[in-house]
Amino acid sequence: MADNKLIVIGAVAAGTKAASKAKRDNPNLEVKVFTKERYISYAGCGLPYYIGGIIRDKQELLVRSPEDFKREQGIDIFTEHEVKKIDASGKKVIVEDLKSGDIREYSYDKLIIATGASPIVPPLENINLANIFTLRSVSDAFAVRELLDSGAAKKAVIVGGGFIGLETAENLRNRGMDVTIVELVPHILPPFDEEMALYAQNHMIDRGVRILTGEKVTGFEGSDGKVTAVKTSAGDIEADMVILSIGVRPNTGIAVEAGIETGAAGAIKVNKYMETNIKDIYAAGDCAENTNLITGKPAWYPMGSTANKTGRIAGHNAALEKQEEALKESLEGVLGTTIVRLFEVNAAKTGLSEKDALKEGYEAETVLVPANDTAHYFPGYRMINTKLVVEKSTHKVLGAQIVGEGIVDKPIDTIAAAITMGARAEDLAKLDLAYAPPFSMAVGSTILSANVMLNKLNKRMESVKAPVLPDMLEKGGINVLDVREEEEFFISSIPGSKNIPMGELEVRLGEIDKNKETIILVCRIGNRAYMSYLKLKNLGFTNLKVLEGGICAYPYKLE
Amino acid sequence: MAEKYINARGLQCPGPVVELFKVAKVSEKGDLITIEVTDMAFKKDIAVWCRKTNNELVSLCEGEGTLKAVIRKG
Repeated sequence: MADNKLIVIGAVAAGTKAASKAKRDNPNLEVKVFTKERYISYAGCGLPYYIGGIIRDKQELLVRSPEDFKREQGIDIFTEHEVKKIDASGKKVIVEDLKSGDIREYSYDKLIIATGASPIVPPLENINLANIFTLRSVSDAFAVRELLDSGAAKKAVIVGGGFIGLETAENLRNRGMDVTIVELVPHILPPFDEEMALYAQNHMIDRGVRILTGEKVTGFEGSDGKVTAVKTSAGDIEADMVILSIGVRPNTGIAVEAGIETGAAGAIKVNKYMETNIKDIYAAGDCAENTNLITGKPAWYPMGSTANKTGRIAGHNAALEKQEEALKESLEGVLGTTIVRLFEVNAAKTGLSEKDALKEGYEAETVLVPANDTAHYFPGYRMINTKLVVEKSTHKVLGAQIVGEGIVDKPIDTIAAAITMGARAEDLAKLDLAYAPPFSMAVGSTILSANVMLNKLNKRMESVKAPVLPDMLEKGGINVLDVREEEEFFISSIPGSKNIPMGELEVRLGEIDKNKETIILVCRIGNRAYMSYLKLKNLGFTNLKVLEGGICAYPYKLE
Repeated sequence: MAEKYINARGLQCPGPVVELFKVAKVSEKGDLITIEVTDMAFKKDIAVWCRKTNNELVSLCEGEGTLKAVIRKG
């Protein structure tokens, strides 16, 4: 039969997904999958939890084995077989069996490249010392876990404060390790806006993780071939293990050699059908670029959720007997939706952050709104802070970030869905969302933040964003008026602020310094400050602003 | 030494803190105050309050959506 040979390179998320989908759609296909790794179809995102022991045994990480693929689907998976070369004109791949050293050619009719991404290992002094790890493959995780289980490591340094680094920090801390994170940019969680990231950062510090931001790792020191210290711009840090979690790069070597074009971040350029510039060659997963659904521009989001989608699409399209547009599956774009748990704090993001929006040239409006995750009279509710970013002129929602101890996955997914459908702030405010006390609030956090956004867009309120307040305080000339109760003020307050509880405002008006340029109203989450704003405005004050998100979402110095 | 109980269930912050201040004000050194709260944000507040007021947080447990804190008046 013509056109019945499919070869897939790579066997983690996208590769195995593509192979399975292709075989399901077209059982006549002969599907071969090559991977240079020993393990396949593993839960890469679960590795930090394997290190921490939450995922107890090795086999729990391995989703399916090559034998499962052969028995259940008739797919041949060749582990420890590295594709050395793609011969695009001859439609074949040259493969080395890494165990025997044998080299063989295999011809294909369709080829799917799912070679993934590799951790960045910078050429630093003594980077090859033992006990310096990356955490990408299961083999990496097994090695780290073995060292921990042996009891030989007590002090860990994590280079890079992205998701993998932070999750690993939590898991190592939970095992009683002394943990230091060194991050180059001014805060952990680099894709998040500063005030959102700092909330999570403060919590990690409270939980005993040492965090150095804006600092650079310059090299390592060791003895007996094992790492003993990390050299940084902030001095040497003792370490008997190091995790490098600086980031990843797409694996595109053999693709580039074969004449396949690359795009965003050096990932393989694909159209919405996952087709590369060479006919009959597809790319999917972390090695392929994506399109940002909001900007329409090429972007790169190496994430398991996207890898599974693009793998499925590549598999479907490669398996089509008739290559007709109407029969093809496609992906218009993604939002880069992500979520992470850091001890008791959850952090999630979808679409553009405020800094992304500015960089892309949007005139954006933002709000930061703390709320309870479930009804305030139902025991056990927790706070979440929602930051919403919309385009000023159209009110279209561009993105959201949610950080807090409460449930964040539901609201971020709601907003991700709304953005995908092109929602405006007005649409978010009117969503008919499920409500009962154990699950949510009657006016849920998403609706609440959309309402606050509409108040701001309609100029009902002037506000100050948390990140600018520390500078304003330093410069002086402002009057920070905290309208919470005396007892709350006693527990923590902004340095230099004055306390007049909202209920006493009218009788204590004389205490407010009208000569200062601006009066910044502060409360716990922003609602009492807003009510005081309306009250004082009514009394003739003009120089008023509300601190967005209140003390609850203010991650800077308190006293 | 007296033992006191505050039922602050269902109260949103600042409710629990205000109740605690009231009772602490009329307590003697060494008195034990137990407070039950269903607002999880109280967890942070109680730790800071004890530190700033030199009262001792004897225990803090969490279960079924309730925080139960025991404080010894310092």
